[in-house]
Amino acid sequence: MANYDYVEKAIKVSRREFLGLAGAGAALLWAGAYVTTDIFVDRTKYIKLRAAGMYKDDAKAKIRQSHNNPAVAEMYGKFAGKPLSPLAEELFHTTYVNRAKLGGKS
Amino acid sequence: MTHRDDGPRVLKHPVCSRLFHWGLIFGFLPAAFTGFIIWYKPGSEGFVNLAMKIHIVGAAILTVACVLYAVFCLDRVAGFMRRNFAWDDRDVGWLLVGGGYPQKMLLGKKIPVPPMGKVNSGQKIFGLCLLFFGPILIVSGWILYAFIPVAPKELIGITNTVHLLLGLYMGLFLLVHMFLGVYNWGEFKAMFGDGTQPLAEAADHNPLWVEKDIEPVLGRAEASDYQKGL
Repeated sequence: MANYDYVEKAIKVSRREFLGLAGAGAALLWAGAYVTTDIFVDRTKYIKLRAAGMYKDDAKAKIRQSHNNPAVAEMYGKFAGKPLSPLAEELFHTTYVNRAKLGGKS
Repeated sequence: MTHRDDGPRVLKHPVCSRLFHWGLIFGFLPAAFTGFIIWYKPGSEGFVNLAMKIHIVGAAILTVACVLYAVFCLDRVAGFMRRNFAWDDRDVGWLLVGGGYPQKMLLGKKIPVPPMGKVNSGQKIFGLCLLFFGPILIVSGWILYAFIPVAPKELIGITNTVHLLLGLYMGLFLLVHMFLGVYNWGEFKAMFGDGTQPLAEAADHNPLWVEKDIEPVLGRAEASDYQKGL
């Protein structure tokens, strides 16, 4: 147990000060939540617009499957052989990178 | 000054402040240290991942310590804010001579310094940084922890930059705080001991505080004569 002869005078927090502190805290929390919510709402809006645009383009497209695309068929016929051929694997396929961990490839 | 352990003593740091300080030591100190490791990546991936885990645990301890202190020791928080926002001509004078520390450390000379309250002007600046930058550092850290998969990349980029810069700044500030804390050995003993300091030492270091902000403990009224004599 500490043994002392002097102590700091009690710090009194008036109702006005308490309300001021609580109000400032509440205002900061509210503003933070409002801004964050706004950012997320905006982002969701852009994603929905982008998805709607892609569905619209897709619906209007004459060729809607890649295996029916003459350009893709020509590329495989003249160059890459067939889908999943060694050359196609080498050129078009990527590898898995675990980005949950830091420090690059794993 | 020499560190006297005799004579009347004053309680400078009550239990709740000392516990909060331990919370900062176990929270902010490992978080700051591992923050530099995560930023600079000096070792293997496993080492950096371990640093990140320690960083998160430290951040959790820091956050809990801050919330508990704000809830259960609101009067200490109010006192901390009042002191840090109280500036006058004495602070200008104190800052102009660097609190007399450069002269004392480099030339071994003690020069007259404007009298200070419980905290000096340098500590006030540190306190204001803690008050404004601390919450931003904590909130930005938890945003980076929880919202990377769902938040917009621009927001995460800004949050990451703010977290890094404030962490760097406060980490360097911490080094200065630790150095001066050890340099002022009486202060170190008070914070890591029972929270008390010899009144004579406090009167030398914090004359305005001793003059205006402390009072004798009930039943120890005889000590007030000593205070008058200082």
